Amino acid sequence: MIRKLLLVLVSTACLLPTAGCWNAKEVNDLAIITGAGIDLTEDGRIELSVEIYLTSPGGTESDGPMTGQPNGDKGTSVIRTVHGINMADAASRLQKMISRKVFWGQAEVFLFGERMARAGLEEPMDFMLRHTASRERSQVFVANGPAKDVLLLTPPVDRSLSDALVSMAEQQTGLNITMKELAQMMVGKSRAAVLPIVHIYPEKDLQDAFPYIAGMAVIKEGRMIGKLDEYTTRGVMWLRNEMKHATVTVKPDESGGYVSLHLLRNHTRLIPSIQGDRWIMTVRITGQDDIVENTSNLDLSEPDHLEQVEREMERFVEERVKLALDTAQKKLKVDIFGFADAFWRRYPKQWMANASRWDEIFPEMEVRLETDIRIARPGLIGKNFFPRQEQR
Amino acid sequence: MKLSRHLRDNVRRLRAVYSDCSDVIFHELRIGGHTPAMLVFIEGMIMLEELDQQVIAPLRDGPGPGPSLEDVRSRTAVASIRTVSTLNELLDEIADGHPVLLVDGLEAALVYGLSHWEQRSVEEPTAESVLRGPREGFIESLRTNIAMLRRKIRSPKLKVITFRLGSQSRTPIAVIYMEGAAAPALVREVLSRLNRIEITDVLETAYIEEWIEDNRFSPFPQLLSTERPDVAASYLVEGHVVIMVEGTPTVLVAPATFFSLLQTPEDYYERYVVGTAIRWLRYFFFAISLLGPSLYVAVVTFHQEMIPTTLMLTMARSREQIPFTALMEAFLMETMFEALREAGARLPKQIGSAVSIVGALVIGQAAISAGIVSAPMVMVVAITGIASFMAPRYTIGIPIRLLRFPIMFLAGMMGLLGVILGVIAILIHLLQLRSFGVPYMSPLAPIQKHGLKDVLFRAPRWNLNRRS
Repeated sequence: MIRKLLLVLVSTACLLPTAGCWNAKEVNDLAIITGAGIDLTEDGRIELSVEIYLTSPGGTESDGPMTGQPNGDKGTSVIRTVHGINMADAASRLQKMISRKVFWGQAEVFLFGERMARAGLEEPMDFMLRHTASRERSQVFVANGPAKDVLLLTPPVDRSLSDALVSMAEQQTGLNITMKELAQMMVGKSRAAVLPIVHIYPEKDLQDAFPYIAGMAVIKEGRMIGKLDEYTTRGVMWLRNEMKHATVTVKPDESGGYVSLHLLRNHTRLIPSIQGDRWIMTVRITGQDDIVENTSNLDLSEPDHLEQVEREMERFVEERVKLALDTAQKKLKVDIFGFADAFWRRYPKQWMANASRWDEIFPEMEVRLETDIRIARPGLIGKNFFPRQEQR
Repeated sequence: MKLSRHLRDNVRRLRAVYSDCSDVIFHELRIGGHTPAMLVFIEGMIMLEELDQQVIAPLRDGPGPGPSLEDVRSRTAVASIRTVSTLNELLDEIADGHPVLLVDGLEAALVYGLSHWEQRSVEEPTAESVLRGPREGFIESLRTNIAMLRRKIRSPKLKVITFRLGSQSRTPIAVIYMEGAAAPALVREVLSRLNRIEITDVLETAYIEEWIEDNRFSPFPQLLSTERPDVAASYLVEGHVVIMVEGTPTVLVAPATFFSLLQTPEDYYERYVVGTAIRWLRYFFFAISLLGPSLYVAVVTFHQEMIPTTLMLTMARSREQIPFTALMEAFLMETMFEALREAGARLPKQIGSAVSIVGALVIGQAAISAGIVSAPMVMVVAITGIASFMAPRYTIGIPIRLLRFPIMFLAGMMGLLGVILGVIAILIHLLQLRSFGVPYMSPLAPIQKHGLKDVLFRAPRWNLNRRS
């Protein structure tokens, strides 16, 4: 027994140097990257800007040749910018410029500059998905302009810019696309993807400028080919089943006012069908809404009046969806709704046979809309208690 | 050696044995004023008054010569009288505090059961307190302890086998079991292991525990020790064997399993829903007490991406000025905590609280504000400390406290992989461990369905003993 024990001890002791602590990294030796912006320079090089969280209370690191954040009152993060041939090159140069070990494991936000996005996302995406430390759950955006400009903003409310962008995306009033979703869309059957666009409001050099998310970038075959405005974006989100939180205001006919509805739960179902050589997509949108405000003369405790609002809401949704469909089918000719995947799942053989023709089929496809909106909770009061006299 | 017919020979031998023993009293008397006799006893261990009134007086004042053994016996008014005929037996009886009467012409000696000495009264055991349930605990007297068990289990099937162990101490030992419940093979095994012990003195049950356990190198206790008669009684009814030693309130229960060491009497005194919930809480914190600091060290030095971002950034800030690695820090703090606990346990109660105040200030407040230790580490150590206090038995807490350190080391070397390796090593050891032939991890491994009702849950009483 003693001999056995000794044997175990000795063999463990022999193992120790082989294992060592080579992989160990203390937290105070890390440069924690919370967000990264990727731009393309004029001469075709990658410009990588990273937001590094300052763990030391003073923020002692000198600016040097790198672009430092103006020593603002918050000062919890610094921005470092490096150039390189590709992402890996830039990332390794970044390590040379930082005294600590670059740590990608907590990067929550990846921001592509517009020029980068237009040139193609495949190259940086390969690096980020291959990297063991970076998270697939980090959020991806496209900046309306250079990504670095957005990173240099100091959001007044949140801890860091990345934090601000993440919380904004998670409100789900705009798009919320993670690295994994982006990759899935890019390799999906339609090879098309959408990304939310980050704008700077009001102007980039102003002290109190802040980022906000509006509209979407349309990406086809890895390249950004267009932008959609906020209005069209909503329609795309309805189609992509991503509409979760929104307040919609409609004006029912002959009601003399507005009714506002809050989305409670929504579901969009894509039902593909092939009849002969006609490819048809039926989009079934069902939803339940709350009434949050009523300034019309409708009495919402009356089933008839409720139905009127429901029809109006359906019309509203269809209008938006049609706009999005028109833009995608006729203008951009790119399937950003995942129609291709729906067809492929339902009709794998036909899809395979016609896969190369998809770009021709999609713009000509007939899309049927079936909307069914119900009002779940009209609120505590039926009528508007305070009608204006002239509307009586 | 047999006793002689002649009183003179016996007394000479005894005096030779008890030379320089000033506490051994030789009291000469003549039975009926005629036959010479000698009372031998140890001062302070007998009921002197009873001896005077019930033994000495009737013998001295009784009728004349030629008393037979029966004659002498019947003259005294003492309930417990035995006769012994060898010198060794005689010595044991005297050592136990029984007055012994040697009569000229008799080859045997009379032993009067009049031993008495000061003993502690029955109190609540401090190590195993309960909120609900009996508050009595065993004391140092073997006789009283057996009586306490007998008062719980009144059945004549409760068997008590007593013998002596220790070449010098000659300590009485009792092996107690329930006939019909305990497997005869188990009782035989316990007795045979006890008989093989070669030891000079038995001052505590721990002395014999090390001799009779199955694996002598394991850090885990393979016998359950308790101070509570109700716990001992419940194990007896379940077919376990209880080993008692004169002079200690701690008794041993054999066989013991890992899960029996994680049970408290209160699991059974509370209602079963509560009992089950508390049991799971205990299992959880038991794991924490083993792995708490190791998991922290592993995640902080190897797997920073596992921590939620906000927490990570907060931790990064608090660790910024710390001069030590997380592993060093954990070692320091855990060692400090163990030192504090040991210091507190050994000190008188009044000073013990002072130690804990100083300790809290030193390892908590001052160490953080001086920037030597980070605040999250203090929290982890504190949580681990609380978790280790949840171990229901002190004996199962000790190996966990010990094993925490090698696992911490593995965590610092290999991260979560090291933690898992450590846990696997411990599990392998636990699985091959046996207590008196019973697998230590039973009824979980090997799996026994009916046994699980008392491990994964605390099944309701009406279902607990049903074996289907």
